[in-house]
Amino acid sequence: MRRDFLKLCGLVGLSLACPGGVSSLLRAATKEDPPYDGPYYVVFNASGGWDTTYLMDPKGINEINRLYKEGDILTKGRHKFAPTAKQIKAGMSNEDFYKEFGDELLVLNGLDYSVNNHSPGARYMATGKLDSMAYPTFAALVAACKGPACPLSFLTFGNYSATGNVVAMSRVPYLPSLQKIANADGIDGNQRSPYHDDFALSRIEQALRDENESRAMPAPSPSEGPALSPSKGPVRLPRQERSENMLYAAQVNSKALERITPYIPKGIPKGRLEQQAEIALASFKAGVCVSANLTIGQFDSHANNDADQMKLIPEFLAGIAYLVRRAEALKIREKLVVVVQSEMGRTPTYNNGNGKDHWSIGSIMFLGPGIRGNRVIGATDEKQFHVPLDPQSLACNKDTGIRVRPEHIHTTLRQFAGIADHPLSKKFPLGVLEKEKLQGLLG
Amino acid sequence: MYSGAACAAAVEDFFANEVWVKVGAQTCLECHKAGGDAEDSDFVLLDPVRSPGHAQDDILRRNREQFVQMAKLKKGDQSRLLLKAVGKLNHEGKQAIKPDSEGYRVLAEFVRRLNDPSGAIAARPSAEDKNALPFFDGIVMLDDRKLLRRVTLSLAGRLPTDAESAAVASQGRKALPALLDAMLKDDAFYTRLREGFNDIFLTSGYDDVPENALSYEHFSTTRGWTEKFDLSQIADEKARQQARYKLSDDYRKAILGEPMKLIEYIVRNDRPFSEIVTADYIMVTPYTARGYGIYEELRPKFKNPDDPFEYIPVKLKALVGRDKPDDQESATGFYPHAGLLSNFQYLKRYPTTETNRNRQRARVYFQQFLGIDVLELAARVSDAAAVSKKYEIPTMQASECVVCHKTVDPVAGLFQDYWKFEGVYGRRKGGWFKDMFPAGYEGEDLPAAERWRGLQWLGERTAKDPRFAVAMVEHAYYILTGRKALRPPKDIDDPLFAARRRAYQEQRKQIEAMAVRFASGGFNLKGVFKDWVESEFYRADGLASAAATPQRRAELDDVGLMRMLAPEQVERKVAAIFGQPWGKLKEEQMAMLYGGIDSKEVTERAADPSGAMGAIQRILANDVAMKQTAMDFSRPSAERRLFPDIDPDVVPGTSPEADAKIRRAIVHLHERVLGRYDTPDSPEVERTYKLFAGIVADAAGHKDIGKEENWFGRQGLLAPVPDPKYTVRAWRAVVTYLLRRPEFLYE
Repeated sequence: MRRDFLKLCGLVGLSLACPGGVSSLLRAATKEDPPYDGPYYVVFNASGGWDTTYLMDPKGINEINRLYKEGDILTKGRHKFAPTAKQIKAGMSNEDFYKEFGDELLVLNGLDYSVNNHSPGARYMATGKLDSMAYPTFAALVAACKGPACPLSFLTFGNYSATGNVVAMSRVPYLPSLQKIANADGIDGNQRSPYHDDFALSRIEQALRDENESRAMPAPSPSEGPALSPSKGPVRLPRQERSENMLYAAQVNSKALERITPYIPKGIPKGRLEQQAEIALASFKAGVCVSANLTIGQFDSHANNDADQMKLIPEFLAGIAYLVRRAEALKIREKLVVVVQSEMGRTPTYNNGNGKDHWSIGSIMFLGPGIRGNRVIGATDEKQFHVPLDPQSLACNKDTGIRVRPEHIHTTLRQFAGIADHPLSKKFPLGVLEKEKLQGLLG
Repeated sequence: MYSGAACAAAVEDFFANEVWVKVGAQTCLECHKAGGDAEDSDFVLLDPVRSPGHAQDDILRRNREQFVQMAKLKKGDQSRLLLKAVGKLNHEGKQAIKPDSEGYRVLAEFVRRLNDPSGAIAARPSAEDKNALPFFDGIVMLDDRKLLRRVTLSLAGRLPTDAESAAVASQGRKALPALLDAMLKDDAFYTRLREGFNDIFLTSGYDDVPENALSYEHFSTTRGWTEKFDLSQIADEKARQQARYKLSDDYRKAILGEPMKLIEYIVRNDRPFSEIVTADYIMVTPYTARGYGIYEELRPKFKNPDDPFEYIPVKLKALVGRDKPDDQESATGFYPHAGLLSNFQYLKRYPTTETNRNRQRARVYFQQFLGIDVLELAARVSDAAAVSKKYEIPTMQASECVVCHKTVDPVAGLFQDYWKFEGVYGRRKGGWFKDMFPAGYEGEDLPAAERWRGLQWLGERTAKDPRFAVAMVEHAYYILTGRKALRPPKDIDDPLFAARRRAYQEQRKQIEAMAVRFASGGFNLKGVFKDWVESEFYRADGLASAAATPQRRAELDDVGLMRMLAPEQVERKVAAIFGQPWGKLKEEQMAMLYGGIDSKEVTERAADPSGAMGAIQRILANDVAMKQTAMDFSRPSAERRLFPDIDPDVVPGTSPEADAKIRRAIVHLHERVLGRYDTPDSPEVERTYKLFAGIVADAAGHKDIGKEENWFGRQGLLAPVPDPKYTVRAWRAVVTYLLRRPEFLYE
């Protein structure tokens, strides 16, 4: 049956119609896939624009900040970071974060977000492409390439989440929701109380499979004349093919959600990111998810920069720490790749009030397997302008350096994830010249 | 120099399909237009999108002439057009296109053709294939019965009546306009309309308790009326508290409903849809009128003063504040209503901040009322940080910023009297910002005397802007199809660019033609819905033969409705088919999981099903089948929806008559649940028959199977429905199977 289906797909050219191509459709249409076993990708978004000088790119001069002086700046290994322990009321201080994760943390400073508006900035940082609405986010792309058959392949909790039609986006806003959908064939989700007897359910699935395959029957070419017949009906439009294949795959693949039940925690954590993390981790652990987009907002501190950032950065770091620690407890930390970003930075000066406005230069952080930590790449100068980075040596160099922009980061991430040459990645080229690729940025 | 009509025509085509599409519209127009950063240059273009369809050719001709003049000018032996484009000759827009790009090659070809008309036509083909077959050639349209079902479910949330079906059976599609006229009067249509426009305007999604859209400064004594409303006639304290909760809930729902009820009122009464930006009234109910403090004066106008949801139009008086400075300036004594633009809930949904300065409102205005996403293609600046530092007021001085802010900031200024961060109305102390382009609209400044009614001034201009009608036609398309109208393709290096461009142009032609009819016909929105329903875009249902080339597939990529139903639509469809909704997709958590929106954080519906949604589809199919199958058999035959002509005692394989009866029952189910019109001997019916008969046969081989339906399936039956042969459960499996199919879950 599986072979037949592949044959049929090939005959009707589904590689064009199906977002993931023939192979993904095939996987999607069978029940034989093993659980996805990693790596898992998590992108944390500080939505609204973070103040990098209060985290990984400290500046104690030029009145860039009002909470510490140059001499107060702390270090951990090769990292420099702003002191926040005395400022925060909840969450995790920079001191604690660097103490726990500094050795495996990679920071890139001086990233040129290139724009000063939230919407294009979020799009650019998420996809690596500023001038297109059609590109998928990295999280969506890696999910489509690595786990198209996973029922929750790409989870998102907000921020820019376009999929480029390469994978379905999953929103699971509440932990209890996972329980509701885990056992779809049991009354009230109870496996011991099935709606249908096994033999009846088996025949339903068989009928649906037959029906789906009959839709994918090869269509006559134009030279063979019209395909209309009372029994067959017209040939499907590309959009119909795509939608029907995705629907069938979604239903078949949803059976794998049964695996999630043991990993749904009994208690629900209070924090915003912690709740998102639990949903993502349960999905990773069950092998039904490849990537997750975790986010908290309100970083847009035009009115009260220091108060807002000192509330949100610690909350953000606590969420990251929670995810990593829980991944450790679940024994999947060694497969967890974490990207930490925002769509823009904050100005090096305060506005007429106590706020800071949008700034197009900032930072990004990474940690996870294969990422060499205890490193800081790139820099900003004393006025928080970017310093050119030599893509070969990764050293700051005004002569040979380039402006590192989101497409450089995404090119690196695609290579790192092993999807740079995947047909789906090639469908969404980033246009980074070979000589501008950041050599050895992550590892 | 070239000359001659034939050559001129060829150049004209090449200009329209290559130069304008790939370079002019995408690059030059950003600055070289009235109001643009290069408006004072010798090279000023017009945006054809801003004119009705028939005028666009003239505009393109005029733009072409600008290109021709610039191309003729030379510096040395090179055309100034080419030199400027790559950033030479002090081009203020720097390098607009790269020398090795497709855009440059197109421009160079244009210049070459002008200089060498003799070899022009053969040199480089235009993106447009003059020999192409009509766009919808080979597309099979939905048959009339299916079209009727599609539109009835979509707009009226029900199945066609027998009379409607009979009309289409006898008259075909000609019957449709009259049927649509009646359908567009259904209350159900207005539910769909409000839901659809809320997907666009999102007015139900503001962050605060609903009554706080009524500002404290002006409604402090009335907006919380439910807290003190006299309920002393209810003796029991608990019951009294419950009544107060209900009062408050209804009041809040009524407040949230006002903006979309404005839309309903306009459409239901065939008023010009331009009133969404010009209406000099709002909609209030007996409950919300109390919030505004105008209940007593309006009371006689309500049919039922106790109905929380009876909406009537009313013109508010100018706002009176708790303090004198909060009094609203008004030359007429009335609040300067401008449809949604000045609506409290709308302004609350899109608030301003000290630094945002109403720019978000302006951005949303352009998006929602003119169909323009000003941030869609924000230009990448070579060094945005340096620009920010270099200029004292970058938004007015740096060309990179001015290009957008010159358009956006004047509109932001029109909202200047709505400057309260918590409430809505309130003027900024010290007057509006001087470091922004002044209030106005597309190059026209707002006269000082009109400031108090700036949004009315904006609304009047909006209604006259051709882009407004186009945007509304696009909104109707979005409501019907669940997706936005195509945007012009940008990647001119894409080998399928020409095909994608054609798809865009064909749809655009349709939209613009509808927009012209819409505007010239007095902005009756019902006409737009009718136009779309009759259009080939809505009716396309398949191909007569497989698409022969990748180019043709790309052209047809977005053709065909194929829309996954939203949670609300699924519930309505279940109710239409089975007589009652499923109910679970009305729960917020489940609806969100099924791709719904909350109008706040989640504002776009999921277009494709995830595994989580696939699971919900299975739950729905299992659950609805469980509740409805035995229930239907428990009714008298004449009252059954699913099985009017068969009983559970008809067992497959027992006689030819029994099998024929089962097949006829399947035909009926296919029609009711899927909207298919299969014959009893069709492969589709055969497949379903096999499913049914196979399950019955399997059950016969299981000795331990019970003789009645599952306990859950027996609840609430009107009469006992024994199941000794397992036929009821087999029929339930059939219904489950049908409910999982795309014909049910999509439209």
